[in-house]
Formats: sequence, C-alpha cells, structure tokens
Amino acid sequence: MNKIDQAAVALFKAKAAPVSIFLTEVKGLTEAMDYAVEVCEKKEPFRPLLASSAAPDVPAAPGVPVKIMAAPELSEPDFLKLTQKGGAKGFSVIRDGLRRHLAGIDVGFTEADLALADTATSVLACQREDTRLATMICEIHVMALAKSKIAPDSARAENFLNELMKSGVMYTAFISGCSRTSDIERVLTLGVHGPLELHVALMEE
Amino acid sequence: MQTAANMKTYHSELQEALADQFLRDTLDRFAVAYRANRAAIFADVDEKGLIAEIAEAKEAAIGRMDELYEQFKAEASKRGVIVHRARTAAEANELVRRIARENKVKTIVKAKSMTAEEILINHALEAEGCEVAETDLGEWIIQLRHEGPSHMVLPAIHLSRDQVADLFSQVTDERQTNDISKLVKVARRELRAKFAEADMGISGANFAIADTGTIGICSNEGNGRLVATLPRAHVAVCGLDKLVPSLGEALRIIRVLPRNATGQVITSYVSWITGAGECTVNPDQKKIMHVIFLDNGRTELAKDRLCGEALRCVRCGACANVCPVYRLVGGHKMGHIYIGAIGLILTYFYHGHDKARNLVQNCINCEACKNVCAAGIKLPAIIHEIRARLNEEEGAPIASSLLARVLSNRKLFHTLLRFGKWAQQPVTVGTPFVRHLPEIFAAGQGFRALPAIAAVPFRDEWAALKTSVASGRIKIGLFAGCAQDFVYPEQLRAAVKVFAAKNIAADFPMEQTCCGLPVRMMGERRAAEAAAAQNVQAFAREGFDYVVTLCASCAAHMKHNYEEILAGRPELKAEVRRFAGRIIDFSSFMRNVAELKDEDLNNSGEKVCYHASCHVCRGLGVVEEPRALMRAAGQYLPTDEEDVCCGFGGTYSVKFPEISSRLLDKKLSRLEDSGASTLLTECPGCVMQLRGGEEKRGRRLKVEHMSEFLARRLK
Repeated sequence: MNKIDQAAVALFKAKAAPVSIFLTEVKGLTEAMDYAVEVCEKKEPFRPLLASSAAPDVPAAPGVPVKIMAAPELSEPDFLKLTQKGGAKGFSVIRDGLRRHLAGIDVGFTEADLALADTATSVLACQREDTRLATMICEIHVMALAKSKIAPDSARAENFLNELMKSGVMYTAFISGCSRTSDIERVLTLGVHGPLELHVALMEE
Repeated sequence: MQTAANMKTYHSELQEALADQFLRDTLDRFAVAYRANRAAIFADVDEKGLIAEIAEAKEAAIGRMDELYEQFKAEASKRGVIVHRARTAAEANELVRRIARENKVKTIVKAKSMTAEEILINHALEAEGCEVAETDLGEWIIQLRHEGPSHMVLPAIHLSRDQVADLFSQVTDERQTNDISKLVKVARRELRAKFAEADMGISGANFAIADTGTIGICSNEGNGRLVATLPRAHVAVCGLDKLVPSLGEALRIIRVLPRNATGQVITSYVSWITGAGECTVNPDQKKIMHVIFLDNGRTELAKDRLCGEALRCVRCGACANVCPVYRLVGGHKMGHIYIGAIGLILTYFYHGHDKARNLVQNCINCEACKNVCAAGIKLPAIIHEIRARLNEEEGAPIASSLLARVLSNRKLFHTLLRFGKWAQQPVTVGTPFVRHLPEIFAAGQGFRALPAIAAVPFRDEWAALKTSVASGRIKIGLFAGCAQDFVYPEQLRAAVKVFAAKNIAADFPMEQTCCGLPVRMMGERRAAEAAAAQNVQAFAREGFDYVVTLCASCAAHMKHNYEEILAGRPELKAEVRRFAGRIIDFSSFMRNVAELKDEDLNNSGEKVCYHASCHVCRGLGVVEEPRALMRAAGQYLPTDEEDVCCGFGGTYSVKFPEISSRLLDKKLSRLEDSGASTLLTECPGCVMQLRGGEEKRGRRLKVEHMSEFLARRLK
C-alpha cells in the first residue's frame, strides 16, 4: 500500500469526527512530532493518578510540574529529534521504563502501521510493553498516520492483518478513538482508564 | 440475578421491578434511543447480509468446536500460552485458583467477561484469599454493590448517578457529587492504583482465533488492554463457542457486534493477543499467559439440533435492548446471569432447569429479539422448545395439559367453544364482553374487558356466505383461526365482502382447526403437531392459489414453524412446504394479489392510527401494504413505536397480567394521543387486547381489524 487511496482518506476523515478523533494534516513525521509537542505544550500538566511515581528525569523549576512525552517506537534519530523538540519546551521525553510512570504521562506518540477508513481505526503493532503502556497511561495519544496506509475497510486489510499476527507480533491494537464509557446512565464520558483524547496526524508522506 | 424458587415469588419480584420508577424511565429512554441509533448505524451496511454471514460462519465453527480447540491450543502453545479446557464451572474455577496459587497471586484486576460471570469466578477467588477488582466501570459499580449485571453490555444500567455518587462517596471516604464526568474520574483514579498493584489480570475474549492462536478483546474503556498488559500473569476465560477458524470471521463479527450492542461502528479498542508477549516484571521478560476454554454444557448444546444455534450468540445484548418485557422489568428479572432472550435460553443450558423454569415463561413471543439478533438466532422458537422440554421433564401444569388434550381433537375443541357460548351468558349480560368473570378464572385480568364468544361461529355461517364468493379469477382458502371463527366472525364476514368486490373465489375448509400456536407456546409438543397436521391436511386437497389468514399470529406460526413441528411426519413434508408457501396475510393479499386499488376505496378522511402486530411486521415482514391501504381509505396518522407489542402474546397475557397490562397501557396512551378516532390492526389477538383495554379506558378509540375498515370503505 504505497499509493494513497484518496477515497479511503476521505472516508477516514468523515468517520473520525463522530468518534471524537482530533484530526490534523501534516507533511511528514517531523511535522507530526511538532504537532505532538504543540499538543503537549497547550495541555494542562497531567493529573497524577497515583500518590507515588518516578521522578521526571529533567529537573523541574520549583512548583512547576514537568510534562512527560513517551515515544517508545521511534527510531534512534527520530527519537533524538523528538527529545530535542520536547526538551526545548522543558518536557521530559522517554521511550522506556513506562511502568515507573503509572501515575500518568502527558502525551504518548506513536505511528500507526495501518488504518481502516470505514471505522476510523488505526492499527498499531505493540510488541513492546512500553508501547502498550505509552498509549494507555497518557492523557493524550497522538498518532501519526501516513495517508498511504489507509485501507478502505477491514475486509481489504485482512491479509495484511493476518501477516502481522503470523509474523510474531504478539499484541496488535485497533484504536478507534479515546477511552470511553456510557456505564453511568448511558451518558457518554471520555477518558476512563486510557487517554482522554486521541489525535491523528495524517501524513502526506 | 433471577433466583425465585417458584412462580409466586417471581411474580412478586416482577411487581417490585415494575414499581421502580427510575428503572422504568431509564429503560424507556434506552429503548427509544437504541432503536434510533441502531437504524442509523446500520444505514451504510448490508445488515441482513452480514447477519446471515455471521450465522453461517458461527454455525460452521460450532460444528468444528473440538477441532478448532485443538488447533488453537497447538498454535497458542507454540507462542508460550498455556491452554486449558474446563468441563464445568467448578473445574474452570479450580484452574484459575491453581494458577493464582502457583504464581503467588494476591491481587487481581478483571476486565468484563460474561463467561467469568457465568462461573462466578470472583467468589471462587475470594474464597482463595485473593482480592479481586472489577475494572470495567459498570462491573466495578455492581461489584461494590454486591449485585449481578442487569445488562450484558451495560451492567449498571439500573442505577442512577445519585446511587453511584453515594457508592463512590463510601469508597473514597469523601462526598462525591452526582456529576457523571467527575464520577468517572473517581473510577479512573481508584482503579489505576489497582492496576498498578495487581499480580494477575483476568479477561474474557470475544474471539479465539484457531489458526493463529489469537484472542480478540473488544473494549471501550481500555481496561482490557491494561488488564492484559500490567500484571505478571494474564488469564483469559472464554467459552468454546468463541472459537472461530480465522481472523476473517472475527472481523466480520466486529462489523455487527458493536453496532448491535451500543450503536458504534467499532469499540474504541480491539486488542489482538497472539502469544505470551513482553512483560518486564517477570524474570524471563515474558507474560505468564493462560487461556481457559469453558465447556459447561456447550459440547452438549452443540449437538442439539433445535437449540444448538444459541451458541452462535456474540453477546451483543441486543435481544434485551428491544425486548418489551426487559424494558419493563430490567435484567435482574430477565435473566439469571445471561440476560434477555438469550439469557432465558442459556440459563436452562448452563445454570440448570430449576433456574430456568420461571424465566422461560417470561417471553411474550413478539419476535423483536429474533429480528435484531447479530447471529440470526431464532430465539423465540428455542424458548418454546425449552418449555416443551421442561413439560416433558417435570410434567406440564394442569391448564396446559388440559388445553393440549382438547386442542388435539378438533371436534371436542369446537364443541367446547360452542358450549362456551351458553356457559358465558350469566357473565356477558348480553354484551360482547365478559362482564363478571369470577376472580378465580381471571386473576389479574381486570385491566381489559374479555370478549364473549360469538352467537354463531363463522364456520356455521359459511354455507350462506359461500355463494357470494363461489367463482372468481383467484382461488383462495380462508384460514380462520379460533379467535375469528368463534369470537370475531364479523372480521371474516368483512373480509368475504372485500374478496367478493375483487372477484376472489374463497373457500373455507371445515376440517381446519386452531393453528396450534397456543399449545406450542405452552410447550405442548404433541398437541402442536396434531393441530399442524390437521390443518395441512384440511387445505391439501383443494387447488388453492393462496391460503389467506386474517390472524397474523396464525399466519407466521404456520408459515415458519410447521415444517419444524412436523419434522417427524416425513409423509407430509411436501404438503407442508406447499401449504406454508401459499400462506399470506390479508393486507398483502388484497394489495398485491387481488390488486385492491386506491380507486376501489372511498376515502372519507377518517383519522386512523395503526398497531403493527408483531407477527405482521416481524413474523411476516409486512410493512408497506397495510399503510398503503390505510392511506387509500382514510387519513393515516403514524405514531411512535407502532411495532412494539401490545402485550397480548396469547396465553402470556394470562400468565403475566402485570406486564401485559403495562404494555397495553403504554400502547393505548400513545395511540390515543395521535388524534385518530379509529385504531386498526391485523390480528384478532391484538384486537382482543386493544379493544378490551379501550373498553376499560372509556373507548376513545374504535378498534377494528383492517378487514372491517376496508369493507366499510369499499366503493
């Protein structure tokens, strides 16, 4: 899937809004990182859900909580890039040891392996425990998604998904929005155990 | 969790539920919203096509359950998962306890799993000294309240935000307001600590994919992902019925499951776990992972020719969402652990006959569930079959046996109906209603006036009527059904008038009898078979083009159930098919076959509203024709929920008057508000219920069968 299926892209966009996905369009991964940093900058620092948690690895100014970004799947150079971008804003950027941050982090940044347009689903192989955690304990999950990876629906992506599972990836996630519940009086409420928001940065490249 | 020991206790529990105004309002709002959401969310997919595909795929998988289990086990084992098969609930619990002991587990977090509910796993683990925390918000709420779920997808739907606020105030030792978003944040905080500490996670699985050894878990809250990721050990408990051959089947089911469950195109998360993945707190960096397949009656059920399709269930909960009885009494009275129509069924197979005995009676046979089932399960038919088995196992109630004996003999039955005409005189005082039925014969029946038996049954009038419809271009056999033959012959006389106007040759085979639906609903298998055979034979000899019936319940029963009921009579097979193929309802026949056109009718602008009888709109799938006829002959005023049951359900209204009367009241209130003067419907049972209710409420609406209305409006 190297060519962009414009109809699928349009469908993905149309289906993203009803499930409260924040969509943005960017050129490539670098711009997606810029977007993630921007999102992190604008948000309130995360509310710790546990009394004790690991101290951030950058020193904080007194009284100012340090924001944390996690990007466990980035390649070495890309991670370095994000560290510099986040660091410039005073963020702690991590890619492992997420278990030490179960009280929460601000932004989890990942890149989707595939997307299914008709349900606005991003598919993420999560071989690493840290990837699973980063996408769950963050308050905002920012996912970069190349337009060329958007398939119209699951039927047409079935072979790819099958290959993924047979290739030894032990944990694959379909992510189609943020964590949600309607368990109290059927009132839709976002952000139960996982992210409060899901942002998808659609990449041209 | 419904546990009443006898029918009397069950009735008093139902009364309690009916008195819960919050439950009433909540479930009413839910039913209305669900209907609209479901229609919208299925608008862009081929609903019936997908359901048929799922039914076929699940059916095939059920037939290969053992083989798929072995394949799953082999594949998952290669990837470090330990796979078990538990014969019973006790065995499954023992396995989980053993895994907990072996891994020195003290604290457990659980994601939502109906299979875990089925085996009451929490009790077993708590007895072992483990601390178990449910992490699905609704499940956590009911766990804290020591209750079972009242819905398979929305377990705490019976509770208000105030009740949850009180509960969370106790849990946190801090006063919580009833702001739902804040209450959700309380759960987020409280449960994060549980996740962080837990030694073991327990989940269910929506799918177990044999060719890769993968389990699939659908979740909105994301708790399923944390349960499967954070603790050292993960145990997935799932029924053997969750096995599918490959990912393709699972992906197809996902196209319907969330749509049917919550009106979503997909849940926020679907996790596919293929092996024991990375877990950094274990010395070998690998998750300790077990999958326990529960049998608990599934292997036996798979072999069950009539009921085995219940294993196709994907646990979407839609059968409860559309059930008019569930809407009134809620899940605690409409299931033991599994809830809704499928709950009545699975209780019998998984939890024992004593738990199911009362529950399986509480189905009104409106077919709303069958109409939306994600896997195309014929739920009402299975419920009838279970009633029959309970009768055979435990002996039928006296009233049921008596009716069965009488109905098996047409002459005796009809003689008794004629005798009824004389016997009722002291109580009808010359009106068409039974006025003073002694309470012993009619406990709880005061909500509606019951009709009297007609002075002359239709069959006795036929010789005189016949001449007017003797010759014509289309030849039909008229099937009357007991209610019209003996109680409302005027509905048939009206039909005969309409037939004559369109030059239809009608005949009335005298050997016809009750369609047999009442005895089938009571679980009287042999009487149902006798009635079916009698009718097929009565219509066999004449060369009818169609068999027209003005009773939708008879029509749907004869069309869809006779072949199964008469499966033991192979000599009738061809005849049954021919008979069933010719059955048609009055409106469709008049509009589509007899070509009753707008210009044949005199439209006076009479304001009419409509009750779509269950067995017309769902049983026969007839929607457009009656509405076209009403528009042609009057001013049709559509109302909300036209196709929700009126509460009759034949013998149901006698067995559960407290529910029947509520359904009737809601129905009539909506229809009276329409501003119509006439209420039309197409089933004499509905006429009996609606007219009887109007009689008690002061006759604001004239209730008629469609045939009477059309006969009045013929040019």
